[in-house]
Amino acid sequence: MSTAPKSLTLVELRAGAEAASAGLPALMLSAERLAAALTAGAHGQRRAGPGEDFWQYRPATSGDTARSIDWRRSARSDGQFVRDREAEVPQSASIWVSAAAGMDYSGGANRPSKRARADLLALALSMALLDGGERVALAGDPPRPGRFQAERIAQSLVTRPPLAGDEDAPPAQALRPGQRVILFDDFLGDPQPVLDYLSRAAGMGVRGALMQVLDPDEEGFPWTGAVLFRSASGALKHDTRDAGGLREAYLARLAERRELLGRAALNASWHFGTHDTAASPAQALLWLWSALED
Amino acid sequence: MLTLGPLGFLAPWLLSALIALPAIWLILRVMPPAPKLVRFPGTRLLLGLRDAHPVARHTPWWLLLLRVLAIAALILGFAGPVWKPLPDQAGQGPLLIVLDAGWAAAPDWPERQARVLRALDRASGQGQPAALLVADGTASGTLPFQPAGEVAARLRALTPAAWETRYPEARTEILAETLAEAPQSGLLTLWLSDGLDHPGRAGLLAALAVRGEVTVIPPTSARLSLELIPGDRPALHLRATSPGTPPAVLAMGLDPQGMPRELARLDPTKPEAVTESGITTRMIQIELPSELRNRITRFEIEGQRSAGAIVLADDSLRRRKVALVGDDRATETQRLLSPLHYLRRALIPSTDLIEGGLEDVLQASPDVVIMVDQIGLPDSEALAAWLDKGGLLIRFAGPRMAASEHLRDEPFLPVTLREGGRDIGGALSWGEPRGLTPFPAEGPFSGLNVPADATVRAQLLAEPAPDLAQKTLAQLTDGTPLVTRAPYGQGQMVLFHTSANAEWTNLAISGLFVEMLQRLVQTARASSPQPDTAPAEDTFWTPEQVLDGFGRAQDPEDPVPVSAGDFTKGAGPGAPAGLYRAGERVAALNAGGTLALADWPGARVETAARTAGLDLRGWLIALAALLFALDALGSAWLARGIGQRGLA
Repeated sequence: MSTAPKSLTLVELRAGAEAASAGLPALMLSAERLAAALTAGAHGQRRAGPGEDFWQYRPATSGDTARSIDWRRSARSDGQFVRDREAEVPQSASIWVSAAAGMDYSGGANRPSKRARADLLALALSMALLDGGERVALAGDPPRPGRFQAERIAQSLVTRPPLAGDEDAPPAQALRPGQRVILFDDFLGDPQPVLDYLSRAAGMGVRGALMQVLDPDEEGFPWTGAVLFRSASGALKHDTRDAGGLREAYLARLAERRELLGRAALNASWHFGTHDTAASPAQALLWLWSALED
Repeated sequence: MLTLGPLGFLAPWLLSALIALPAIWLILRVMPPAPKLVRFPGTRLLLGLRDAHPVARHTPWWLLLLRVLAIAALILGFAGPVWKPLPDQAGQGPLLIVLDAGWAAAPDWPERQARVLRALDRASGQGQPAALLVADGTASGTLPFQPAGEVAARLRALTPAAWETRYPEARTEILAETLAEAPQSGLLTLWLSDGLDHPGRAGLLAALAVRGEVTVIPPTSARLSLELIPGDRPALHLRATSPGTPPAVLAMGLDPQGMPRELARLDPTKPEAVTESGITTRMIQIELPSELRNRITRFEIEGQRSAGAIVLADDSLRRRKVALVGDDRATETQRLLSPLHYLRRALIPSTDLIEGGLEDVLQASPDVVIMVDQIGLPDSEALAAWLDKGGLLIRFAGPRMAASEHLRDEPFLPVTLREGGRDIGGALSWGEPRGLTPFPAEGPFSGLNVPADATVRAQLLAEPAPDLAQKTLAQLTDGTPLVTRAPYGQGQMVLFHTSANAEWTNLAISGLFVEMLQRLVQTARASSPQPDTAPAEDTFWTPEQVLDGFGRAQDPEDPVPVSAGDFTKGAGPGAPAGLYRAGERVAALNAGGTLALADWPGARVETAARTAGLDLRGWLIALAALLFALDALGSAWLARGIGQRGLA
């Protein structure tokens, strides 16, 4: 029933991601996020603040230290001037794609595996962000700007080996304040690590989005008759003689899982979205876009 | 046999298996289809769920029907259904079965046994006693009538004999004793004939016909027999009871690696077929190279499993026995000067050589005696007797004959010789050595190539005589004879007018010499295969290899020597067909011989026994196979359908 997951080569992944992200306008994260920025970004914010570039000379006021006075400018007139610099963007985005064995599942030969679709979305989003001048990295790597970073992300997405087990949790220790985090997973494993991650992220002021990528088989549960269900790694098993009778209960549990995640995301000011591998990836990308814009 | 309307069953008890069909239906119905194994990442969500309706999905009813029908067809098929079977012969009464058990019954022996078993089954069903008269010549005394079941047990152990079918002697008192237990009337006789006439058949038939109805079942296929006609040019007689094209005759023997295999295939259609009173006889010449012929161990008719279709080869087919008589003293020092040396080298590849004095070698009854430069033969009477019986005497001239003063009176020479001989190429003669003229087309040497360098320097000259030209087989270019021949009784005498070594001629060191000798030896009459010894010397023949009725060779389990008197009577009880040895002689006793068709006045002949009813077994089993194939297709289609639904 389950076919071998479609694995993408580096070239295919890049080409697909370029195509998916071509229609997006450059992403500019809102100014609100800059306030708590700790690390410098690449974008001038049209106001004075800590940064590299010159912004303006202003007359020195009380409180300015003698060190801050620009003596060359001051020597041309009688007053003392201070050299202000333009404040810079500290914003960075961290993207995480689950490598659990279940992500390699695809219910049909004409559909990509969930992992292939998640990789595609992740890279397309990265490219859009990078085109907007943001710093992007996969979770755990230092965020970097620039077109070449897309290459690195694509490289590590493709070369990353799938895990043998059913569970993969986002790395909570890689969270940095002010980051934007996007998690791609099927969220069919144990939900507790995700809930913990969300509460920790909320505590650090990190915001982001959860994207649940599912195969239509997982949303529709089309089986009937006697079926021996095995998880992708084979660790979990459920044998039934009437799979058709389990459909209702399964769908109820899936809805319950989604509600749990959605509520947790809301509490952490995160967004929770779902994506079906049979649907167009652009749809999901637009949703992610809007989730990151607010 | 159970008959239901037009349908009969040979094994009706198998039909009881049909009772099991409903149980099979239930089992098939309850058995769920095999579960599918699915890798599903959402398995965690399923943990702990319970089946709402834990009932197996049923196999579709049409698949069930297919399977049950297939099993029913199998059961019916194995129960041996026959459409409109012929009813068994009518009548009540003790059953006497006359079973021809000679080699001619071997090819369809299992069918014969099956037919008799059927009759016995019926007799035992009716509670009638039965008796079995096995016509292989071993039975004697009164024939016991027993319950049919006991007779059937005896019948199963019977095999055909490796000799002709033999009936009890057609003398009134013997027949009366044999049939002492049989009723005087109301006896049902079933005679499984091998289709051939054998001594005593008519008398037995008459005696049985008096007591009741006789049903004869003749064989359905033609009988074939093979017989070897020994002689100078041995041939095979292939006899058949039908004029159709007979199968090929195979010459089996050992190949150069020592493995038994087919050496030659003799075409039986080439010779003209002679049909006489229903028996078609073909004479097949064994025209094979002598090297091949000497290796043949048996001839057999292809595809015929019977002892009568096999001819075992013995001495009569084998190599000629050649005796060399001559002065061999030269061999001790100068081998190449010995005349015997060249003869030996020429003859060893194709013949059995014996050497010794004339008296000694004649006792071994050779086919050919070669004497080299012998004069004043001492033992003329024995030699004359041997020649008279068909021996071939080949003599070579030489210096001793040339020096003899009584050459003109010498016996056992085809021509009268002049004393002194003739030198034509020597140092003191004028002439050149003479070559040979080409051989005449009708002589024994016809077709041999005469090498140009074969010359003769010295020879013995024949006295001119009116019949000299007739006696001459080869001559020199000046017309003087080189080889002459004359008959003597049934035998013949041949003289080479020159020496057998290189002293007088270089003929002895040419290839022509070898070929001439082989041609001459082949004209020798093969010695008779029958023991030609005096009755005082009554030899016993010990079986070395015997055939069973099917023509399979085996070692004799209990070799009983057969006296020469019985041996000449041919194969029979106590002397089955096979190879027998007495001393150094090996003789074959073959079962096949003349055939004669049997006729059955006053008896009911059951014809075309096999078309009695249409056997439905094959059709039903084929139907079952077809249904099972459909079942497999249906199951595959079902599985595919489920799979597609799973993918949707």
